Amino acid sequence: MSQTFLTAASRMDEPGRKRFSFAKPFVFILLGVLLVTQLYPLLWLFTYSLKTNDEILSGQFFALPKSMQWDNYKQAIDANYWQYLFNSIYVTLITLVCVIVLASMAAYAITRFKWKLGPVVMLIFLIGMMIPVQATLLPLMLIFKNIHIGDHGLMGTRWSIILPYIAYQTPIAVFILSGFMRTIPHEIEESAHMDGAGVFRTFRSIILPISIPPIMTVCILTFINIWNEYILAATFISSEKIKTLPFGVNSFVSQYSSNYGAIGAYLVLGALPVIVLYFLLSEKITKGMVAGAVKG
Amino acid sequence: MNALKVPARTIALFVLPCLLLYVCLVFVPIFFSMYNSTFDWNGIGVKKFVGLDNYTRLFTEDNVFWPAVRHTLMFAVFSMLEIPFALYLATLINRFVKKPNFFVTSYFVPVILSVVIIGQLWKTIYNPASLGGMLNQVLDALGLHSWTHAWLSEPDVAMYALYFVALWQYLGYHLLIQFTGISNIPTEIYEAAKIDGADGFKADWYITFPLVVPIFKISIILAFIGSLQSFDMIMVMTGGGPAHSTDVIATHMYNMSFMSSKFGYGSSIAMVLVAVCLIATVIINALFNRVEKKIG
Repeated sequence: MSQTFLTAASRMDEPGRKRFSFAKPFVFILLGVLLVTQLYPLLWLFTYSLKTNDEILSGQFFALPKSMQWDNYKQAIDANYWQYLFNSIYVTLITLVCVIVLASMAAYAITRFKWKLGPVVMLIFLIGMMIPVQATLLPLMLIFKNIHIGDHGLMGTRWSIILPYIAYQTPIAVFILSGFMRTIPHEIEESAHMDGAGVFRTFRSIILPISIPPIMTVCILTFINIWNEYILAATFISSEKIKTLPFGVNSFVSQYSSNYGAIGAYLVLGALPVIVLYFLLSEKITKGMVAGAVKG
Repeated sequence: MNALKVPARTIALFVLPCLLLYVCLVFVPIFFSMYNSTFDWNGIGVKKFVGLDNYTRLFTEDNVFWPAVRHTLMFAVFSMLEIPFALYLATLINRFVKKPNFFVTSYFVPVILSVVIIGQLWKTIYNPASLGGMLNQVLDALGLHSWTHAWLSEPDVAMYALYFVALWQYLGYHLLIQFTGISNIPTEIYEAAKIDGADGFKADWYITFPLVVPIFKISIILAFIGSLQSFDMIMVMTGGGPAHSTDVIATHMYNMSFMSSKFGYGSSIAMVLVAVCLIATVIINALFNRVEKKIG
């Protein structure tokens, strides 16, 4: 009995703040160390990209470049950088638009229409989320080689990567969007119906505008996944003209394996678009990716 | 009134584009692969039906397969071990840091970069000191010359070097997921607990951890499935070499399918990968349902 009393008393004596201030420095040291390990490699890459080959080979990792070798960047940009960047933007934009249109329509039908097969369709998408997409690489290649549009094979065109990209992103998109659409009150549709709006009109001018927040989440997830995708692009396309940025960066790096500074510069340039976007929209991006993970 | 009654034609118009595209580009290829896996076929010659022979060879004769399975599972285990650490960090940040956004968003930066950028960056970091590799230079500077390695070309260390990169890249992701989970716990609970004498680590143990189990589960599933599937980073960094020491199931599948053109054999590996993913998801879900029941 007295024992309990004592511990209770000592707990009351012990001011919470004192213990905090004792642990706090250690926590901040730990967090600081992690900050260095997570960000320093990127910073190092930047200094690396501004050095000459000699400085890289003989110098120390922490040494700053003696004079900025902006020429490394010139070499990188001259090696098709703008082309790759354009291709990535093109592919990502088309994928984004298609995913949002297709997935929001499907999600609307699954959650708001009265039909028996709705849950079945949802289940198909759910199962799809567990399938590793790289298992489809080989069969897709075999199928695409046999599909011809006009006199071109589908394989090796932009569409040979855009179509799988759309397909890979739809399950999670349908899942996120239907999770939201299920919560929209039915009265909204009813009143639209009273006013004479058809299903399409209701969908376009009422459901879609309310669904902007989950659509943003889908946009962010799709953007990050597709913008960064490498293996499918590297397997399905080969023409310089349509290579996406990650694939282009990798080809440059393997091709100029001894031009270290230029490799560094190309890597920095490759990372730059996403970094800039992240700098501007970090909160939206982190929230979107967590929402995507948690709902997936 | 509840769900809308609309003609079947309208439903089809909403659902079919998305569903057909998805089924044709994900499900059909998987079944096509299942079919292909029963053939001996290099894409050019005759397709020779061999039944389950590819699978028997894979399980009994293939010297690369079982080590690849081991690497895949190790990859998954390491990724999952990271999550308790991420959770602990998240609790520390939540308790000690007033403006946590700075840390959380900084740690997240590697997550949004392409595997190509991450892979090539770390290849550069892992280079020998004489080629400007940062890690070896750091070790040299610390007087730990005996610790330096040719990180990616020594079979004994290459796989660990790759695990580390994956852990490095995704720390911020899991941290953010856990952190979001923790910040969603209402502060009233902690206040009530404080009155009852539980604060600090005690509060973490009895309140935070049980309440973040669902989020923890999501992280575990993401880490597990992600590591079963994560092979693009390995393709960028080592391609499975040296001497297959970094092959995982997916890289083995890729190399067999696309480098050796063994389409039938590659398909059978793909099927194993699909099976492992499906089974793993089911098992993890079942395990956590049990845990959640116990706690709830």
